[in-house]
Amino acid sequence: MSDWIAIGALAAVGLLIPIGMMTVSALLRPSVPETGKSTTYESGETPTGGTRIRFNIQYYMVALLFVVFDIETVLLFPWAVIYRPAIEAGVPMTDLLWPMLTFVGILAIGLGWAWRTGAVEWARSSRAASRKTERDINT
Amino acid sequence: MVPPEWYLLLASGVFCIGLFGILTRSDALYFLMSVELMMNAANVNFVAFSLYYGDLTGQVFALFVIALAAAEVAIGIGIILVLYRNFGDIDVTVPTEMRW
Amino acid sequence: MSSVAPAWSALSPALLLGLTGLALLLVDTIRPNERSNTSMAVVSALGALASLSVTVWFVIAGTGHADTGGAITLLEGAVKVDTMSLFFTAIFASVTALVVVAAHDYFHDHQRPAAFYSLTLFAATGMALLAVANSLAIVFVALEMVSLPSYALVAFLKKNRGSVEAGLKYFLIGALSSAVFLFGISLVYAATGSLIFGEVAGQIESLDTLSGVAGIGIVMIVGGVAFKTASVPFHFWAPEAYEGAPAPVSAFLSSASKAAGFVVAFRVFTEAFPLGASLAADINWVLAFGVLAAVTMTLGNFAAAVQEEVKRMLAYSSIGHAGYALIGLAALSAGSAGNEAVMGAAMAHLLVYGFMNTGAFLFVAMAERWGIGRTFEDYAGLARRAPVACTAMAVFMFSLAGLPPFAGFFSKYFLFMGAIENGFLWLAGLGAVNSVVSLYYYSRVVRAMFLDDPATPSALDAIDVRPTALYAAVVFAAVATVLLLPGFGPVIEAAEAAAAALF
Repeated sequence: MSDWIAIGALAAVGLLIPIGMMTVSALLRPSVPETGKSTTYESGETPTGGTRIRFNIQYYMVALLFVVFDIETVLLFPWAVIYRPAIEAGVPMTDLLWPMLTFVGILAIGLGWAWRTGAVEWARSSRAASRKTERDINT
Repeated sequence: MVPPEWYLLLASGVFCIGLFGILTRSDALYFLMSVELMMNAANVNFVAFSLYYGDLTGQVFALFVIALAAAEVAIGIGIILVLYRNFGDIDVTVPTEMRW
Repeated sequence: MSSVAPAWSALSPALLLGLTGLALLLVDTIRPNERSNTSMAVVSALGALASLSVTVWFVIAGTGHADTGGAITLLEGAVKVDTMSLFFTAIFASVTALVVVAAHDYFHDHQRPAAFYSLTLFAATGMALLAVANSLAIVFVALEMVSLPSYALVAFLKKNRGSVEAGLKYFLIGALSSAVFLFGISLVYAATGSLIFGEVAGQIESLDTLSGVAGIGIVMIVGGVAFKTASVPFHFWAPEAYEGAPAPVSAFLSSASKAAGFVVAFRVFTEAFPLGASLAADINWVLAFGVLAAVTMTLGNFAAAVQEEVKRMLAYSSIGHAGYALIGLAALSAGSAGNEAVMGAAMAHLLVYGFMNTGAFLFVAMAERWGIGRTFEDYAGLARRAPVACTAMAVFMFSLAGLPPFAGFFSKYFLFMGAIENGFLWLAGLGAVNSVVSLYYYSRVVRAMFLDDPATPSALDAIDVRPTALYAAVVFAAVATVLLLPGFGPVIEAAEAAAAALF
């Protein structure tokens, strides 16, 4: 049960510290309202347009490839865990390596195919292209 | 150690939240999140009972499930994307080209 | 022969399918700008046929048969090659071969057909893996390996609203049911502490307080199986997906994917949850399957009777046939000697169904290729313009209905007789009533093609293209359906031997 007391104490302290800091600073600071303070923070730039813009489809393609390769490392994890004990137990290196190499090889075929069929190339969206031409007309 | 029934309760709770989400929301992205919840409810069971029985199968299978869930989401988002292009919406109740 | 070859070579049918899929991707990677539809179709058909011939060779040589040392288990018992797995792999490989040949003409003007062929081959690999699975973990992974390419295949025509809608609905129900299935597996694991079928079966009898958990898990696994086989209560996707999908994909899903669902059902429910032990733990899945079979076949056949579109009619009829095949699980009784007869008959029915249903959907593919409409009226008078294809379609229709001189009759006859001998007269009677109903709507197609006059004289002028490969696939399916008539003896023997190994 003492474990739970420790966890509860940690949670209490974790809540108390930020709340305390915010209260203290609210009590001490002078109040100077200014429009610049209440605008959306966008890395120092002046924010333009709404938040609900449509993103380029290319972000999705890259994200998809990332998800695939990020998650596939999960499947390599059990292999990596048993690698060293198996080597020490005298399993030949080739027996250990070929499952992993086959797996990565299949993934590589898939990546190669995606690459060659243009999934990784940065496609120009028609919207971006039209905006570009508008600007060209203006200049 | 936490008794195994509690894990079962937790997993069933998470599973039911996911099921509730599927039944009540018509947005395709909420659907994907709900399915993910249901799969992870199963993962809770696998990991918990893997510990309980001292058997690694459950933990390794949970890893497989994570990977498969990611693959399923990838396919799902692809389908939602072509859905948006064809119907202009990602509400799953909108496409009714075919008679039910 | 297993004494000579290494044990992993028993998996070569599945490996051949997977390697062909990878080879297609590699070819497309090396030469991405050539459309090369023909060479893709040829390579994938060759891969499927190679897998089929290896499978048939294994069956003849008796690999995994009790006479030659019994089933071959690999990977710590997670994979098991026996006669049943080979039997079903033969179904998958033949349907795949027919579908890829037909797809050559169907996708003649598609931009990138390579993805279609490799996705089909990967799905077939998953099916072959399902047939050999001996662990719930492999079952789930293989099930997803079948499902994920199938979702993409159904939505393959990205600019066709029907195809996209079908893909979405298939995906929604598929993702839901696979989550339910997975949770069922996790509950079974929680109750028994293992995923290998044999070990689960060993535990299931000695559950006392946990039998409720295992029971709920088994119900959820039934749900996953119902999705894959397109049976009630997860059948909603089938009419939509089959109607909206490209017709070769509908053929693939309704024949091969359905058989894949059944191979899992047969193995899981005989080896992981054997009848006697399950009943001892108060888990009566036979009753559940009985209700499902009755509802599924009735709903499928009666809904098919009121359809106006041929493809949608075939979709509902495919639900009805799932109901017939479910009798193979529903008409079992603990310790009965007739169990292997009824399950073997269900397997034989799935084999026959694989040819006749694929053929019927490929005929629809041909009609879509010709550009004539989708309804019964649009098929009017078709026999005058395309007599060979229409004769083949008539063979499929009568065989699906189960009329005596065709193979569909024998498989249904054995199935219903097996059910009666096992004491399930009501199931067999219901099946017979449904077959009569089905005769009505199947004969509507034949009547339209041969007896009716086209609505306008120019209605059929579109039929001037001769899709050779589609023709070949349809005719081959028809020949196979007819040849299964004299060849039905060996088929039912192999099926019963396969079923006998399970009990």
